[in-house]
Amino acid sequence: MCFAGWAWQHTYWEGPYGPLFWQGEVFDLASALGGQWDAFVGSGAGDGWVQRVIAWTAWPYIVCMVLSLTARARARAQLAGLVLGSACLAVLAYAKYVASLRELPMLIEHGGQVLSPILLALALVYGARHRAVVAVAVVAVVTTFAAHGAYALGLWPTPASFYGIPAVLLGSDDATTTAFLRSAGALDFAVCVGLLVPAARRSCMLYAALWGLLTAAARPAAGMSTSLSYWGADQFLHEAVLRAPHFVAPLYLALVWRPADAASAGVSTSRP
Amino acid sequence: MNRTHVFALAAAGLVFASSVDAQRRRVDLTVPSVAPAEVICFALYTVHDQTLKLTAQLYPLSEEASRTVRLEVEQGGAWVEVARTEVIERGWTAPFRVDGWDASAARRYRVVHGSEATYEGLIRKNPTDQDEVVVACFTGNSIRPAHGGDLSRQDLIDNVKAVDADLLFFSGDQVYDHRRHYAAWLKFGRAFGEIIKDRPTLCLPDDHDAGQPNLWGESGKVSTLGGAADGGYSRPGAYVQEVERAQTSHLPDPADPHEIGQGIGVWFTNLNWGGVDFAILEDRKFKTGPAGRVPKQGPRPDHIRNPDYDPASVDIEGAVLLGERQLRWLDRWGRDWSNAQMKVALSATIFCGGAHIHGGANGRLHADMDSNGWPQAGRNRAVAALRKAFAFHCAGDQHLATIFQHGIDEHRDAIWSFCVPSIANLYLRWWQPLEPGSNREPGAPEYTGDHLDGFANKVTNYAAANPEKRPGGDALTTRAAGFGVVRLDTARRTITMECWPRNADVTGSAARQYPGWPRTISQLDNYSPPSWGALGELTFDVDDPVVELVDLASDEVLYTLRINGKKFSPRAPKGRAFAIKAGVAGATAVVVERAEVGDAQRTIKLK
Repeated sequence: MCFAGWAWQHTYWEGPYGPLFWQGEVFDLASALGGQWDAFVGSGAGDGWVQRVIAWTAWPYIVCMVLSLTARARARAQLAGLVLGSACLAVLAYAKYVASLRELPMLIEHGGQVLSPILLALALVYGARHRAVVAVAVVAVVTTFAAHGAYALGLWPTPASFYGIPAVLLGSDDATTTAFLRSAGALDFAVCVGLLVPAARRSCMLYAALWGLLTAAARPAAGMSTSLSYWGADQFLHEAVLRAPHFVAPLYLALVWRPADAASAGVSTSRP
Repeated sequence: MNRTHVFALAAAGLVFASSVDAQRRRVDLTVPSVAPAEVICFALYTVHDQTLKLTAQLYPLSEEASRTVRLEVEQGGAWVEVARTEVIERGWTAPFRVDGWDASAARRYRVVHGSEATYEGLIRKNPTDQDEVVVACFTGNSIRPAHGGDLSRQDLIDNVKAVDADLLFFSGDQVYDHRRHYAAWLKFGRAFGEIIKDRPTLCLPDDHDAGQPNLWGESGKVSTLGGAADGGYSRPGAYVQEVERAQTSHLPDPADPHEIGQGIGVWFTNLNWGGVDFAILEDRKFKTGPAGRVPKQGPRPDHIRNPDYDPASVDIEGAVLLGERQLRWLDRWGRDWSNAQMKVALSATIFCGGAHIHGGANGRLHADMDSNGWPQAGRNRAVAALRKAFAFHCAGDQHLATIFQHGIDEHRDAIWSFCVPSIANLYLRWWQPLEPGSNREPGAPEYTGDHLDGFANKVTNYAAANPEKRPGGDALTTRAAGFGVVRLDTARRTITMECWPRNADVTGSAARQYPGWPRTISQLDNYSPPSWGALGELTFDVDDPVVELVDLASDEVLYTLRINGKKFSPRAPKGRAFAIKAGVAGATAVVVERAEVGDAQRTIKLK
């Protein structure tokens, strides 16, 4: 789902790599390769060098979207493709980090998305209950929730959408929205701490799964309208889809840590 | 520890170091803790129609400090209190109003808080006795040291003093921090306070001031889409209100005060200063957002990268630019020539797509709906209203200085506009059409002349301060940066546009403006279609009467103008008949019942 959402963003709209590529040094490289200014900037049809490179970045996401469905434990090439997909997501996260003037939470909050392909690959290779899979899922949840919590608590300046979406969905005023965000941010950090407490971790993950689902769905819920073309689905729906790791990773942990399973089977550490 | 671990650690370290380094290179917007005597940061004012409005900007006050601030004026060597007000704690502004202000003489003022803090400046006299009103114009005050700049503004301060500007116009993006307007606004005040305190100052909050990269305000809707192309404000209404209190509460009273969504007010108004009537427009607040309304034509809802698209397809019915109430006011403003010889319109951005290559779009873009070339119907209504008053237009926002003449039905049948350069360029733009312009002036660059912008609006370019052909990345740069000066000669009814780069001494013999500047036009050039002809010359028995032409077929006002002197040769469309109205204060009486192109001269008595 994460790859599907980003594939939509890349193919229908555009990948967020402008801050990385629209640089003097890149133009120097293009010039060294024989590209002149007019070719570099294009004709207005998306045919500029940087514009075309950015367009090509869609392909890994399309491929990885398919690999996510077809990869199997012994399909080493496909598993390698998933790992490469993770690297693509890391580059995407870095591009957004640069665009945000290098705000650390903007990088870290993508941890869940970046790690989700690796999570899948590990689960296929070692089994869903392997310690390594659980560890990666824990890191995914912690990075996602800690970074979002940092924004919601105002430890870093809170992004505008954090205010706008509750304001639209809840009809709350500025003060109420701020209080709501601070509470949500505190709970985000509580989730991260709760992961370390065996007695509390499953409850925390159930809450995290629900909250991840609600916050992902909030974007289309707040933005879509019957008055818009396609109801606005082309603008907003993929924003929920690509955030699937925000609820899938904690849901996975909640399932792994089910009391009956934990008591009877334990977590596997064996290799296949 | 294996190689994978080492790589992961190194990568993490690079990212962390980059973040820390970026923190160091980030703008320091810590609000300084100041002594009680320094608690007044700066003050802005205007004087219009015998009303002084002044807003003092304070640093945060301590819990025990008084919230009362006083305004005093020097009279006969003594300070006399003329107003007092309570500080508005959200944003720490103190707005003053003094009715019955005598603007015939300059007065020293001071803002006082407590027993120690004072801030002094000069309320200038209304320069109605001057033939020339000088306006210093700015836009785009990016301050990010991470991009290579927290450059001193001293060159701008020195140049404004050198030209002795009568009025300051900051067209927008005074603040580029999207979450900490108060702190960044204080920084703006510290940078420009030296010139602001002694001159009436107009600040228009644009998109970055309101906390977002682009703004289609849609009358106060809440935006939830990244980039805000869904229309509305991304920041909470209370934040926007704070921004507007800081930047516009000292403007003349709103022409049509009312609230829009989220409790946000409106502030469009006019300022009459030196015999020039400045319309201060809000060209973002009511504008429709394109996302989901306009057929997708590019990589973003507001970008068009399909040169074969049909421009009419994005000129959607119901799309708003200035809004009906503002347009109705603009029509009334255009006909009201009280105490005015010339009219100027000020807004955030220009009424066309004034750039082709955008750093923010990674190259050439066919059209950008952030520009006020969209929606086309709204743009045409705005330009049509302004040309009826022969209004010259000044704006900013584009990060690229240009001179355009707009056209509606034909090229060059409407107003001239001057887009001033940015104080510091966050990213670069270029005006570089694929085809040379038509009807270029002899020797002019190929990018000048008659064109169609990306929305098929008729535009004629006369100058563009294009930067060197090389991306600047997101590096703050003084490339193509600078400021503008507009000289309004009310005696000769001319407008001279000057465009200066940063760090130039405008008084020095070696100083050079950007190519294409300076340029002087006549007031009448703002509505002089090439296809028009001349009605017979009118000779009045009074100086500078107001003259108005009314189309006899439609009863629509063609234009209204306070002429210069006693003689006027009106121009009008051929093949149509007009009634001519005139008067000393306003065009109240019909003085010619029917006039057409080619008519003989007429002598008209108004006394």
